[in-house]
Amino acid sequence: METLVYGSASPIKVLSFIYFIEGKSPVGNIIEMKHIVKVFPPNVVALDDVGVAFREGEIHAIVGENGAGKSTLMKILYGMQPANSGQIFYKGSETKFADPGEAIDNGIGMVHQEILLIPEYTVWENVILGVEPVNFLGHIDKKRAQEQVRKRIQEFHFNLDPDSKIGEISVAARQKVEILKLLYRNVSILILDEPTSVLTPQEIPQLFDELRRLRDNGHTILFISHHLEEVITLSDRITVLRRGRKIGTVNAAETTKQTLAQMMVGREVIFTSLKEPQDAGNILFEMSGINYLDSEKRPHLKDINLQVRTGEIVGIAGVEGNGQYELVNVIMGLIEPKSGQLKVSGQDITKATILERRKKISFVSQDRTNMGSCVSASITENVLMTHHRLNERFTLWNGAVLNFKEAETFTEEVREKFAVQMDVVDAEFKSLSGGNQQKIILGRELLLDAPFILLDQPTRGLDVGSIEYVHRQILSMRAEKRALLLLSADLDELFRITDRILVLHRGKLVANLVTDETNITEIGYLMLEGKPHET
Amino acid sequence: MKRKLLNSLAGIVLALLLGAVVMLTQGHNPVRTYGALFKYSLGDWYSLTTTLRNSVPLILTGLSASIAFASGPVNLGQPGQLVIGALFATVGGLYLDLPPYLMIPVLILLAMLGGALWSGIAALLKKWFNMSEFITTLMLNMIADYFTYWAITYPLFETNAYFPQTPRIAQSGWLPEWGEFNTNFIVMLIAFIIVWFIFNRTTSGYEWRISGKNSLFARLGGVKVDKNYLVVMLLTGALAGLAGGLVVMAGPHRFLKGLGANYAWDGVMIAMVANSGIIATFLYGLFFATLQSGALGMELITAVPSEIIMVLQAIIVLIVVAGRGYLDILVGKLAARKKMKERAS
Repeated sequence: METLVYGSASPIKVLSFIYFIEGKSPVGNIIEMKHIVKVFPPNVVALDDVGVAFREGEIHAIVGENGAGKSTLMKILYGMQPANSGQIFYKGSETKFADPGEAIDNGIGMVHQEILLIPEYTVWENVILGVEPVNFLGHIDKKRAQEQVRKRIQEFHFNLDPDSKIGEISVAARQKVEILKLLYRNVSILILDEPTSVLTPQEIPQLFDELRRLRDNGHTILFISHHLEEVITLSDRITVLRRGRKIGTVNAAETTKQTLAQMMVGREVIFTSLKEPQDAGNILFEMSGINYLDSEKRPHLKDINLQVRTGEIVGIAGVEGNGQYELVNVIMGLIEPKSGQLKVSGQDITKATILERRKKISFVSQDRTNMGSCVSASITENVLMTHHRLNERFTLWNGAVLNFKEAETFTEEVREKFAVQMDVVDAEFKSLSGGNQQKIILGRELLLDAPFILLDQPTRGLDVGSIEYVHRQILSMRAEKRALLLLSADLDELFRITDRILVLHRGKLVANLVTDETNITEIGYLMLEGKPHET
Repeated sequence: MKRKLLNSLAGIVLALLLGAVVMLTQGHNPVRTYGALFKYSLGDWYSLTTTLRNSVPLILTGLSASIAFASGPVNLGQPGQLVIGALFATVGGLYLDLPPYLMIPVLILLAMLGGALWSGIAALLKKWFNMSEFITTLMLNMIADYFTYWAITYPLFETNAYFPQTPRIAQSGWLPEWGEFNTNFIVMLIAFIIVWFIFNRTTSGYEWRISGKNSLFARLGGVKVDKNYLVVMLLTGALAGLAGGLVVMAGPHRFLKGLGANYAWDGVMIAMVANSGIIATFLYGLFFATLQSGALGMELITAVPSEIIMVLQAIIVLIVVAGRGYLDILVGKLAARKKMKERAS
């Protein structure tokens, strides 16, 4: 496979050839992975003859759609998973780490998407855990430990207090602690797995500054992402993977978002707003004066008033944990509001059963595996849910017995309509990729023909191609004059497809703006501050 | 499906081999022992009918546990539900006087009612006090045990008996026998078919299966999870109760001390080996009944104690359950290797 790194500069090519003969990597490449193949049982080829070289002191991004093999490649390097074949050269000699511990000892560390720290411990305690400095009695030398951690924090300009408890600091700060933990262990190569996925738009630049400072200090940073914009801003070089194959490595300065997207999905992707102007109709969904307190009397929703009209997509922006979860659960009937009223097409559903609500509401949850599907049931059984009670087509004998033939036909219809890639309808749901799972869920929900559609982060964790597909489906529902409420942490998404954006801050709706008359910065401030930015 | 069958057969063969090793270390001849075991369980018409008859309570309590586990509720109350069902059938048989074509269905329904009542208590405790059925069904087993013991020692005691037992039930309530073949097997078969149909073909059965795997998803999909919980508890209680009723109606025709034996716990064990599969429960029930019926004959003509069957059963459970996970890994690995070879060529 052609790699763009070496190009056709012949001296380097010759040099690399010589080094290849000797089993050594060319100068400047601190890590070289060659012909890596990884097969996940039974027959998923996650990596197909992938070769990448990382230079010392660069920020190197690995991008690709979900399932492209980014994380797998890094886990193989880090010793978390063995490759089926291929070689890894580290500092010129062939290496294979048996486990992450060995990788860390050799100066390679990885920060995972989930943060693994002890919430009751302070920052410095978490950092030294496992490699505690001890005094002559064998006790932890607290003073020295604190001093060392403090020094590291200063050295890298991390805005952290070593004495604060993990449970009391922000997610962004916790992520810094994870990085600090590795730096404390003298790691010189940092692997970051989608580090920005847990951050707010405002926190990302700070992380990037810190990463750049680390690079300038001589650290090598490899980071996995599928956000093209940040990849171009931050990295020096970018390697694109698609379906387990390497498409190429490019210099960030010489590429564009369009080119990268095309490399990632293999075709052109449209980034501009997709929606066509359309007048909204009557009010179809209405929440008035909704308050919700949890069992400890803490308020999570405060006097929520919102309306969605037919043919309108209303977006709800907000940092996670500001009441989105409760809002969704109140609408779906999983929890009961303390006061207020819910109405769909004029009917009061505040106290209705979930089944009653489902006659009027389609729901796509952000939690695909726990709320949106049953992964160990078959695809057909997943498609059938809710339809089995609302759609007479799928039952016989007055609803008592299922019509499996009809259900399977329906699954085939969903497959056709929503371009799902699958082998057989009775395969387990978990055998599908994330994007295909979401298409099935969307198909099931949209074909319920409910007038109101509640979408909770419907594109979370999906790749660029699938996101575009989901957006088109959502917009086609708008064209069908249904009413849609979209909760999303992705501001690009909100700006791309919504008509109005409401901002949820600490359980309150603090803004109601027309999408075309506002901008990302304004919404960003509202999300963080709960009020417009004063200039 | 094929893989499941392979796993089960491999597990059973391996367990028999290990059993042979155990016998050898004890100085017994395994070939002769196994010969006797299968001769006295399947070898002739009499042995075969005995095995079929003994399989009934195992399969019914097994189905009870399988359906409960696969639908979510951890109903471990089969022993209690079985004896209460047996007691209900006995009381009906003692005080009712109906022609057989009415008597038998009535006693069967009474037995099911008894079992359902007993599991229903656990279901209500969950509904009212949010007590886990995992605990309450186990506790109710003890209560049922001593309650029935009291009932046959005092109010229902057969005068002049030397042992806590009731008088025989009216003959119209005895299950007919065709030669050696007891019709309790037919009743069980009908129950099995109905239960299979409910679980695999009806709308409710679909909801149970999905709720058993992911109840939050089911709830959000409009499934009335609470109602289904109650129905499943009642149904599985009724199945265990039916097992008890049939024991009385096919066998001693009375309730005597120790009637429940180990049937229900063996049933729970069968449900586990069968991974809560309905058909698998049926087949394993037959197989375990074969072992248990053959054990007595085996003891009769060889010096091997019948307890060896318990060892054998335990080994089968361990190997099949452990093998289930391992076989998946193995098949996956083999497939991956094949894929690598395909790529290479």
